[in-house]
Amino acid sequence: MELGTAAARLPRLGGPVLEVFARSGLSLLITDPGQPGNPITYVNAGFTEMTGFPPEEAIGRDCRLLEAPDTDPATAAALAAALAEGRPGEFELRHRRRDGRRFWDRVTVVPVPPGFNRPGFAMAILTDITATWEEGAAQVALRSRQEALDKLQERLRAALSASGVMASWDWTIGERRLRGDARFAAVYGLTAEEATSGVPTATFFSIIHPDDQARIRLAVGGILRGAEVFSKEYRIRLPDGTIRWVHARGRRHEAEDETASRFTGTMVDVTEQKRVEERLRIAQTAGGVGTFEYTSGYGTVSVSEQFCQVLGLQPAQDLPLRTINALIHPDDPPLIDPAPPPGAGCIRQVEFRITRPDTGEQRWLTRRGEFLRDIETDDLRFSGVIYDITASKRGEETLRRLNDELEARVAERTADRNRLWRLSAELMLVARFDGTITAANPASAAVLGWTEIELLGRDLFELVHPDEAAATRREFAALADGAPLARFDNRCRRQDGSWRWISWSAAAGEGLINAVGRDITAATEQAEALRQAEEQLRQAQKMEAVGQLTGGIAHDFNNLLTGIIGSLQMLRTRVAQGRLSQVDRYVTAAQGAANRAAALTHRLLAFSRRQTLAPAPTDVNRLIIGMEELVRRTMGPAIRVETALAAELWPTLCDPNQLENALLNLCINARDAMPDGGLVTIATANASLGEAEALQQGMAAGDYVSVAVSDTGTGMSPEVMARAFDPFFTTKPIGQGTGLGLSMIYGFAKQSGGQIRIRSELGCGTTMSIFLPRHATFPTEEEAPMNAEPASRAGQGETVLIVDDEPTVRMLVREVLEELGYHAVEAVDGAAALLVLQSDIRLDLLVTDVGLPGGMNGRQIADAGRALRPGLQALFITGYAEGAALGQGQLEPWMHILHKPFEVEALASKVQQIIRQAEKPKPAASFARGA
Amino acid sequence: MTPRVSPLLNDLERDALTELVNIGVSRAAASLRKMVGGEVLLSVPSLEIIGHRRAAALIQEREGDELVAVRQEFGGAFQGRALLIFPRANGMELVRAVLGEELTPAEAAAMEDEALAETGNVILNSCLATMANMLERSLTMSLPEVLRRGGLSLLQTAEPVEDEGLVLFLYINFSVQNRSIRGYIAMVMDLSSLETLKRLVGEFIDRVMQDDIEA
Ligand SMILES: Nc1ncnc2c1ncn2[C@@H]1O[C@H](COP(=O)(O)OP(=O)(O)O)[C@@H](O)[C@H]1O
Repeated sequence: MELGTAAARLPRLGGPVLEVFARSGLSLLITDPGQPGNPITYVNAGFTEMTGFPPEEAIGRDCRLLEAPDTDPATAAALAAALAEGRPGEFELRHRRRDGRRFWDRVTVVPVPPGFNRPGFAMAILTDITATWEEGAAQVALRSRQEALDKLQERLRAALSASGVMASWDWTIGERRLRGDARFAAVYGLTAEEATSGVPTATFFSIIHPDDQARIRLAVGGILRGAEVFSKEYRIRLPDGTIRWVHARGRRHEAEDETASRFTGTMVDVTEQKRVEERLRIAQTAGGVGTFEYTSGYGTVSVSEQFCQVLGLQPAQDLPLRTINALIHPDDPPLIDPAPPPGAGCIRQVEFRITRPDTGEQRWLTRRGEFLRDIETDDLRFSGVIYDITASKRGEETLRRLNDELEARVAERTADRNRLWRLSAELMLVARFDGTITAANPASAAVLGWTEIELLGRDLFELVHPDEAAATRREFAALADGAPLARFDNRCRRQDGSWRWISWSAAAGEGLINAVGRDITAATEQAEALRQAEEQLRQAQKMEAVGQLTGGIAHDFNNLLTGIIGSLQMLRTRVAQGRLSQVDRYVTAAQGAANRAAALTHRLLAFSRRQTLAPAPTDVNRLIIGMEELVRRTMGPAIRVETALAAELWPTLCDPNQLENALLNLCINARDAMPDGGLVTIATANASLGEAEALQQGMAAGDYVSVAVSDTGTGMSPEVMARAFDPFFTTKPIGQGTGLGLSMIYGFAKQSGGQIRIRSELGCGTTMSIFLPRHATFPTEEEAPMNAEPASRAGQGETVLIVDDEPTVRMLVREVLEELGYHAVEAVDGAAALLVLQSDIRLDLLVTDVGLPGGMNGRQIADAGRALRPGLQALFITGYAEGAALGQGQLEPWMHILHKPFEVEALASKVQQIIRQAEKPKPAASFARGA
Repeated sequence: MTPRVSPLLNDLERDALTELVNIGVSRAAASLRKMVGGEVLLSVPSLEIIGHRRAAALIQEREGDELVAVRQEFGGAFQGRALLIFPRANGMELVRAVLGEELTPAEAAAMEDEALAETGNVILNSCLATMANMLERSLTMSLPEVLRRGGLSLLQTAEPVEDEGLVLFLYINFSVQNRSIRGYIAMVMDLSSLETLKRLVGEFIDRVMQDDIEA
């Protein structure tokens, strides 16, 4: 048991060196100075052989086990001390064997320094020198022993050093013996004798790592069966337990007698190399570096996978030299020159182009290689790397080309510029910042009538039209301030005194302005002509539409007038007859007809767009009901008009007049599409658009009100549909179509935050749908003037100023107001009104016409009044709203409008509403929020 | 530099197959040595199992269209076609190495096909016979045939090629009388033959593993 422990402990204590000692035949003893009495902890076979003490009898005993009574006590004590203290020393003393026989023992104490995981200790090597001692030749023997020991140690060092050949073997195949040199013995943990005399061939695999066993057994199996070349890398376990990578190379040597064939080889420690290789491989892959090794004279090159990749070849471990060099541009040096190499130690670097076979691309590569002498074979190896340098090469190339070309380009550019200057049809001027012309090109003669010479030294601003001079000076100043470029148009005076529109591009450089001018007079004139033509067309379209409308309603209007006139006549007759009980009937009839006439004119005005345009909460259904009659009349008898109005239709926010206008236009288009008659349907609906649907329709998601006008007419072809919204696109004969109807409706829908869509099929009819965004609330009732509320009495002393040049209107308004309990003050024009406004009488409201004689319009009176009396409210009564006078779009909160003709009740309720609202928030300064 | 993994054979099986071919070409080298009376070295640095198309592309890419090949059919436990392929110039080199320098170019040209067929036969026969022998199976071989074609058509000769046809593709280095000659051995086999081969190789591995235990 103890032996086993000690034997097991030995490698740990002393490592491979000791093990070799132990097997060397020398007699060996190790003690443990850490324990009391420094007991023996290990003896080897040589010790037992020499002394007769088997390990089990020696281990644990005192180190002085061999001392005899006749041993020199001083020498023995010195030896014990050296062992205990780990001091080197040589002692010769008489020792006793187990059987009692004495012998001369030369004890060499070798200190073993502490190592990893173990303390230092001393080892004693015992040599029987009895013979030499007794024969007196002790010194000679000692020296020879010493030499043997040195040699052994030397061998060990060599064997265990990581570099160089580690071991060589000779395997006799028929005999099944494996022999090796001393290094082989050390690596395999054999004694030198064993290695020389031969061991069973299975020993070969005994130190091979289990994971590599099968592979190497196969390779050796191949050799044993006739293969000639062996070259493998694998792991072995050394006697000290460490794992190393080795590269073993061998050959089968055939003998005449098959059984005498041999397998010889050497192994080299490549552990470090492996590690480096691995690191290198990672680096290579990352860096796109391919490696190769070429042994001079061979047809193939062994290469890395990355090498193949850099060249654009299929991955391989060996490539024919020819294959590699064939990729290289014929003008460039070969990657590997098969010519005899210049000798070892030579480093060569070349750059060359290749054509990648996989992509056909041309790439630049660098190759760096070194010639090395193979120690084993004496071959000259060329080993190196390649990598792609295309990117840097291209940069270089471009730079050089740029440099080369720069001069040529400069010259060319100069010539170009001269050519441009001379031949250009555009005006080219060079001027100082103050406007002095320093150069002009020949085109100036053609454009302005001034020759180059005439322009030299002149002030450019003498030529510029006064209207544009200031703007032009501003551009010049900006250029002087460093603006890179200026573009502006101005008129320049021709030599003949006419003006030319010039569009300039100017840049500053070297204290001068270089300007290129294009004569755009013709273009400008054309644009102006076009604009006018458009304007005329638009007007024509409007007139046409009015014509369409009036044509349809003139008959109605006459009917209504007949009714009014007739009723009034009957009224007069009945009053004259004193038959007053029948009066009321005619008044009602006249009033009804007049109201309908008023509605008609209202629509007409709306259509001719002289209404104040303002988006307002609109009830589309009500609007359609209101215009249904008008549409019906316009469509004529051959066309049926139906409405399909959704119940609970949401309110929407848009300009109701524009919407009416749009619907009328759509109906007119529908009518035109149905020359033989048909059906027009006006339908409304609520529409909630989800994200996807909205996106598809080109609208924002949300709630909309849709108004669709459908007809059963000709329909549109896809081409017509695609262009229908284009301004001036029409398929109708000249004089009938303007092509503006749909484009204006489109504009209206978009401006209202909605959309318009066509659905049409040739021969089946068309549906035009307008989508308008949903609004939170319906219009308030009082905005519907036709349905006025009954009037109530005014508050105490409330006063209204009435301005109108028409006495009947003044009289009427005055009577209505007084009826309601208001004081009324009249003024015929602005001047009279101002007098009242400047006085200190109480004024709660100004009621004024917009168009007035005498220089001041209603709006101006109102403004003056508000200047004198802040917070004053104004009610404009007007036949048609003078848009300009009242301001475009939304009205100010203090401004109110009542359209003539109006009913008396409408006037009364409007006046009361204004005054009541104005009274609510006190003080008067906050009127502005009243409406 | 790990070799590409073939789907059909595992690493060990491929190693074993490489070894088998190595034994074969070593035998061939020995025969050639006797033929030419000089040094001949053959080695197989790598082996791949790839599809027809890739094998053809590989040769095409490396060698271009100027190829010469010796072809022999083989049958037995596994069957197929074996081709020894050289770049055309290398083929001529081999002929010169085998026939000797004394020949005039005309004589060499006249004897080229015959010499090629003979040399190819030695190599392919040694190779395949050795393999069969090692795998403990018998094998028959047809007479050699010399072909001159481009790489693409070379492998796709004969009867309509079964789609799953694979090629055992070997690269061999020759050194004949100090001339470096490179060539390829391609063994075209169908899947079932390859599977048989795989099984036999497995048995071979088992035998090799027993080598020293008997000793
Ligand atoms: N309801 C419809 N049915 C068939 N075609 C139509 C309809 N509405 C418009 N179009 C086509 O679109 C064109 C453009 O219409 P629009 O812009 O209103 O101009 P205009 O009516 O003056 O031609 C029309 O000329 C016509 O070809």
